[in-house]
Amino acid sequence: MELLYRRSLGPVVGAFLTALREQRLLGSRTAEGRVICPPLEYDPDSGDAVDDLVEVGSAGVVTGWSWVAEPRAKHPLPHPFAWALVQLDGADTSMVHALDAGSLDAVRTGMRVQVRWAPERTGHITDIACFEPEAS
Amino acid sequence: MTDTDPQVADDGPVRFMPQLISLDYTVRTNPVAAAFGEALADGRITGHRCPSCSLVFVPPKGFCPICTIETTSADEVVIEDRGMVTAWTVLTPIQYHGQQERKDYALASILLVGADGTVGQQRLIDIPLDEIRPGLMVEAVWAAPEDRVADDRGYGLGTAIDGWKATGEPDAPASEYEGHTL
Repeated sequence: MELLYRRSLGPVVGAFLTALREQRLLGSRTAEGRVICPPLEYDPDSGDAVDDLVEVGSAGVVTGWSWVAEPRAKHPLPHPFAWALVQLDGADTSMVHALDAGSLDAVRTGMRVQVRWAPERTGHITDIACFEPEAS
Repeated sequence: MTDTDPQVADDGPVRFMPQLISLDYTVRTNPVAAAFGEALADGRITGHRCPSCSLVFVPPKGFCPICTIETTSADEVVIEDRGMVTAWTVLTPIQYHGQQERKDYALASILLVGADGTVGQQRLIDIPLDEIRPGLMVEAVWAAPEDRVADDRGYGLGTAIDGWKATGEPDAPASEYEGHTL
């Protein structure tokens, strides 16, 4: 059974996904100067509205991860991968996405990773195909 | 682009996000449904005749809901792939995600010859929508053998039959179907 939802995004998440289509990553900067990525409409510490969007890097550091040995049909990769928390350069929070690391042994907290862009982008989180180990 | 099109074709700001929620079910087939499905694959519609009240149920349930007794393969009877329309609905397909239908069509309840209950949700083929009526005699248009997949739960006829077309016979008299109309 399948249901297709059409979700309205609002100005902040909408801008984030619009930027993904252009291969750019946006975070929201709070009054204290913290950069939240993916961006939120509100500062989680104060509740104040946040409308200052800033660009962050397309590479970052793995802050946590979980290995998926047997991907399911709806997972973004057909082979074993990691769900990873990635703190992008310039951001103070981490985003969850798939990390195509090849093998369990290749994943560690603190490793550098970069975005692998989807070849065709539509303004969706899947415009980031996944993360991959940063080219050295 | 339509409201239901998951793709955002233009280059403007992204304001909406399509999100597909899906659930995969695995259903264990019961023996009665499995035997019914095997017969359908062979091009036969079967039912169970209650040994107590003699009513024939299609698809077979494995019990008589009136007498509350078990029925088994020993009670199996073959039903004709021909019967009469008792009720129907004309559907106008809304073009939601996954919709395969494009034009108005009719689904009917059909009382098969040899059965005491109707099978519902049956597609009528090549019958003008304004000519559908109670008592209209129809016969099965079987799917190709490799396409005959039974409903694992034992409901309906699965994909064994593409639909039903008019036989051209005189309509059945009301006395034959009036107990089955809504």
